[in-house]
Amino acid sequence: MTAMELAYHWDFSFLNEYGSYYWTGIRMTLEVSLLAVLSGLVLGTLVSFLRLSGLWPLRLIGSVYVEIIRGTPLIVQLFLFNYGLPIFLGFDIGIFTAAYLALTINSAAYIAEIMRAGIQAVDKGQMEAARSLGMSRSLAMRQIILPQAFKNVLPALGNEFVVVVKESSVLSVIGFAELTYQANSIRGATFISLEPMLVSALIYFVLIFTMSKLLGIGERRLKASD
Amino acid sequence: MIKVSGLKKSFGKANILNGINAEIAKGEVVVVIGPSGSGKSTFLRCLNLLESPTGGEIEYEGKLLTDRRVNINELRQSMGMVFQQFNLFPHKTVLENVTLAPIKVQNMPKAEAEKIGLELLRRVGLEEKRDAYPNRLSGGQKQRVAIARALAMRPHVMLFDEPTSALDPEMVGEVLDVMKALAKEGMTMVIVTHEMGFAREVGDRLLFIDGGQIVEQGAPRDVFANPQHPRTKEFLSKVL
Repeated sequence: MTAMELAYHWDFSFLNEYGSYYWTGIRMTLEVSLLAVLSGLVLGTLVSFLRLSGLWPLRLIGSVYVEIIRGTPLIVQLFLFNYGLPIFLGFDIGIFTAAYLALTINSAAYIAEIMRAGIQAVDKGQMEAARSLGMSRSLAMRQIILPQAFKNVLPALGNEFVVVVKESSVLSVIGFAELTYQANSIRGATFISLEPMLVSALIYFVLIFTMSKLLGIGERRLKASD
Repeated sequence: MIKVSGLKKSFGKANILNGINAEIAKGEVVVVIGPSGSGKSTFLRCLNLLESPTGGEIEYEGKLLTDRRVNINELRQSMGMVFQQFNLFPHKTVLENVTLAPIKVQNMPKAEAEKIGLELLRRVGLEEKRDAYPNRLSGGQKQRVAIARALAMRPHVMLFDEPTSALDPEMVGEVLDVMKALAKEGMTMVIVTHEMGFAREVGDRLLFIDGGQIVEQGAPRDVFANPQHPRTKEFLSKVL
């Protein structure tokens, strides 16, 4: 070790002036992640229906969607949405919409696979019993299969939410003002390279650790009702 | 009431049913027996199209079930089915299991459905379990709830697919008692079973299925006492 490294002078004084940046960042991170996971859940469930459909063209559409999204990096998808969509649509969609859409569509592909596994894990006797009572396929799906599938996959969905919160840091590259972007801004404004990121790392950790614990409690509650 | 002619079913290359002809009259209790793999369950599951036949026709209350244009959801409402594995809805209470289909499928008001549901639960001796979830019930209790659930749709015919095969021996009796009471009330029933004593006691007619065909049929007492076909003789010598 050199003397210079030992002499590193930690400087967290920026927190007084820039602390509010972090609060905005936390809010934006949680907002876009929560929205993306909720919309991703709806979209992902629909895609899982495509994947499980009896009609091969629908199955193909579902598979293509999942494979393309899973086969390309989120950061690339993000750029495509941010710069491609306005050209394609002919109007500006704004950074929030681009970020939200990219994250939703990305997350939906993973959620689709989670839901598909969850639906397939429900005993096939459940569908038969429902159909034998005169329920249509869609009524049986809503009343009987999905509630059970959803319960099966709740842990996996919680995990997906945690992943999305972390992945949302990528949104900073298009200037979306979430936590990582804010930390970067502080670095730029103060010329302190390390400490602002260290603080954001700590915030991410506390957020995600808290979420994991809450999800764990929720899971145990659900198990107790079994 | 049900008329089956030339019913065929194959899974891939395996022919499970090879041309079954049968008629089930209103009020009749038909028991179906046969070795495992003989196609007896498949035959029953074809009757409400849980399996779609690959050939032949099924007529139910004057309507051709095997016609693609028929509204199967509507016809199934009057055909109750009871499964070997019960298939109760685990996320619903006992009473909800019984009332769900009347409310959601027949648009019955909740209060009325619950009144009927409780009455049915009383009939199967499980009224006090109304708010329990299925996983708190014994196998015999589950199957009695499953029977009540099917009865809640006011079916014209009840199909039983080996209803006691998944039960511990001491619970078989309680389920059979419920079924006997149903038979006494004049319910049309088709029962796939391994309970030979029950088949003899309750059945009006017995079908012996082997190799995807009805090999022999007649009054249960006669068939058991004096089987005609060698395969029936062989099967009965093993199970009686």
